[in-house]
Amino acid sequence: MSPAAESDALLVERIRQGQSDAWNELIARFEGRLLAFVESRIGNRAASEDVVQESFIGFLTSLPNFDVSRPLESYLFSIAAHKLTDHLRREGRRPTLPLAGGSATSDGDWDLAGSARAPSSILRSGERRSLEADALAAVIGGLIEQWREKGNWEKLKCIELLFVRGTGNKSVATMLEISEQTVANYKFDFLARLKTLVRKEGLSEEVFPELYEQKR
Amino acid sequence: MTDSFTEADLEAYLDEALAPEKMTEIEAALRTSNDLVEQLKAINARRDEGIHALGEIWRHLRLSCPQREQLGSYLLGVLSDEEASYVCFHVETIGCRYCQANLQDLKLQQSEAADSSDTRRRRYFETSAGYLKDS
Repeated sequence: MSPAAESDALLVERIRQGQSDAWNELIARFEGRLLAFVESRIGNRAASEDVVQESFIGFLTSLPNFDVSRPLESYLFSIAAHKLTDHLRREGRRPTLPLAGGSATSDGDWDLAGSARAPSSILRSGERRSLEADALAAVIGGLIEQWREKGNWEKLKCIELLFVRGTGNKSVATMLEISEQTVANYKFDFLARLKTLVRKEGLSEEVFPELYEQKR
Repeated sequence: MTDSFTEADLEAYLDEALAPEKMTEIEAALRTSNDLVEQLKAINARRDEGIHALGEIWRHLRLSCPQREQLGSYLLGVLSDEEASYVCFHVETIGCRYCQANLQDLKLQQSEAADSSDTRRRRYFETSAGYLKDS
């Protein structure tokens, strides 16, 4: 755990003990970035402050469930994202439509995030899914660290564009001013390493289809 | 219309994690494109089945996000050219919402009057501290 993460974990522990100065400190530490996150979408300071306020209350009410081994900032951002989504739906900016089963509500809205998702359709537990994601993330994180240490920024940018933005090989080559063959080589190497991990860890290949199909 | 959005963009949209301008584009397109709605349904169905997407894992766990201290160094102009180039790429080309928010906050800290943020923080504290005892 990094020093910053340790500091966050200690802060959460103090909040769990009911220390109001710790709560004040958490607000001071994170409110600016949460406000910037929300305001970039709402564009209205007063409404954005209300969403951040709801996010802090949401954090306290969900505190018993928070795993301190997880990054605090990411957890706070995820709460703010949910509160922001709720706000945008109330304002009619974010469309809500039925995803499955035609479960439209009386006002024609539908819930993208999940009310129409039948529990029976969830085939594997969230815990197992999280373990699979963590295993893959550890390998990807290790590769990113290696690329950074070796100054291989080009490869990092290439892989990030391909997988985080879903940009096609040709566009990535143009954006980074490298050949399509170089993009293909980076991609092949990256996927090969991840496939090795999946085999080594005995993870199901079926849940990582991107590793085994050539989409682009 | 839907051709302008990648699967990864739509995944990020569902998580409220895409750059604001792209989020707005998708929201506008959703009002007229049934194809786009179907694509979003398919992504949620895929998630329900436990199928992973590499970009989702990368984004959720913020595998390449610079540390906040590095973002501060970026603003101060003390990173190496290559590191600064990567931060710029990650924030602007990838459009990482979390790092954009951190950068914006750091910029404001340098310019915003201290009493303004103090007032805001005090309001957050006073309206939420009552929940502290119950947590």
